[in-house]
Amino acid sequence: MVTIKRMIRREFWYLAFLIPGLCLFTLAVVIPFVMGARYSFTNWDGLARTVHYTGLDNYKRAFTDPDFWKSLVNTFKYAIIITVLVNLIALLLALLLDTYLKFKNFFRTVFFLPSVISIVLSGFIWKYNYAVGFPDLFSKFGIEITSPLGNPDYALFGLILIAVWMGIGSPMIIYIAGLQGVSGELLESAEIDGANMWQSFRNITLPLIAPSITINMLLVLTGSLKVFDMVYVTTSGGPAFSTEVISTFIFKNSFNNFQAGYGTALSMIFFVILVLVTIIQISIFRRREVEQ
Amino acid sequence: MNKTHIATFTIVSAAAVVFLFPFYVALLMAFKSAKQTFDSFYSLPSSIYLVNFKQAWSVSKYPSAITNSFIITVISVALIVLVSALAGYSIARRNKPFYNFIFIVFLAGLVVPFQITMLPLYKMGKELSMLNSHWGIALIYGGLGVQMGVLFYAGFIRAISREIEEAARIDGCSTPRIFVQIILPLLKPVTATVLVLNALYIWNDFLLPLLYLQDKNYRTIPLQQYFFFGQYSSDLNLAFAYAVMGMIPIIAFFLLTQKYIIKGIAAGAVKG
Repeated sequence: MVTIKRMIRREFWYLAFLIPGLCLFTLAVVIPFVMGARYSFTNWDGLARTVHYTGLDNYKRAFTDPDFWKSLVNTFKYAIIITVLVNLIALLLALLLDTYLKFKNFFRTVFFLPSVISIVLSGFIWKYNYAVGFPDLFSKFGIEITSPLGNPDYALFGLILIAVWMGIGSPMIIYIAGLQGVSGELLESAEIDGANMWQSFRNITLPLIAPSITINMLLVLTGSLKVFDMVYVTTSGGPAFSTEVISTFIFKNSFNNFQAGYGTALSMIFFVILVLVTIIQISIFRRREVEQ
Repeated sequence: MNKTHIATFTIVSAAAVVFLFPFYVALLMAFKSAKQTFDSFYSLPSSIYLVNFKQAWSVSKYPSAITNSFIITVISVALIVLVSALAGYSIARRNKPFYNFIFIVFLAGLVVPFQITMLPLYKMGKELSMLNSHWGIALIYGGLGVQMGVLFYAGFIRAISREIEEAARIDGCSTPRIFVQIILPLLKPVTATVLVLNALYIWNDFLLPLLYLQDKNYRTIPLQQYFFFGQYSSDLNLAFAYAVMGMIPIIAFFLLTQKYIIKGIAAGAVKG
């Protein structure tokens, strides 16, 4: 009997340890998620005390809303270009920093620095660089430019440049960690067998750092699909809808246009898209990792 | 140094210059007067001009914003570390379906985009009087941070041998005592990681403060920066002085804790 009592007491403490974490998680994620799912079936304006259920109306509306599709296209364009650019540059820098380079730690700090300051600040610094600094610099060479953020054709690319500058830090560190796991002996024996730099990179390094590639692709893609702050701060979706991404579109619907019900329905659709992207990505990369 | 080394060094240095350029411009603007900037944008200031800083300090609410950011970050991070360590311990040590299920629920939470929860969080905050309060926003950060925190702690604790714990248990040591006296001291490295990564994220966050801290007196640094730039966008030198002031604390924090940030990111990637 004493042992049973002791066992109950033991389990009691393990359960008790879980409770504070579960409570906070419920408060910040579970309850709002359930509430949000519920609002997505209503025409709630975000203020009224009572809500009206409208069934699937919001979802039907979303699929025929050209603005929603436009913002979705912008979001994916933005996220895919960033994922490719950030990963290429981060991997290249990691490869260079993984050699016997002098001041390695200093350089690592420099490339990480842009991710340390707030997005508001980065957006601000770049906005004025684009508007005042770069035109001034280029005019010295006789080239006249204006801020890309003011031009609907280039605004999204202007944002991508800022995001790449800001987003190199963590992926680079993850690649460096991956590269440190690649054994020098393997590379040496490849060299003895006559493999050139590209061959040993392609056939030895790349397969061995596959897990780092997987995680970086996943983090950068899902992270940039969710972009909000940067767009909100620098262009706020403009000019002419050219940088409107899904997050800012949802934010505007929910808070500025008083269409909270519609806004939450959009975000539920976005949630499903995010889950699908994550699953597809993981399964593609898992398969590749196994093959090698 | 052979040729390859020189080439590598040159490429990396060039990249570093490109990366630092926006910071250079920010500093330049902050230390020059409007006239100096107009005369030549990229040249170094002829003399150190500190009027921008004095003015930015007096017209902005810099001290209050710093205090708010500091209080919110400290409470949130303390909450995250405490509750994640406790929950992570239970999950790591009880390999039963119930605990594994809870673990998966925490991880699933990471996929939920903030947009879904944004509006309900605002409504909930209003009804529970959590708006314009350090504790209110810290509780939400706690709930958001615990997901990643549990992942880190559970992974770390699983790697700690159970033997000492079992010996202590045979000697009649209770679970809370084991946690405090045996496990807690071993958690320092992972705590450093969780602490630093969350502090960085919370200090810089913009959207949640935008929703939760609408009273001017509760604005955090990024929020205050946002409104300050809007208000003083015609006086760029002043705005940049404020930008530099806002950058100093977080860059100092980064330089001091770099080791843990880098270790944390690398460890998180390997386990994720």
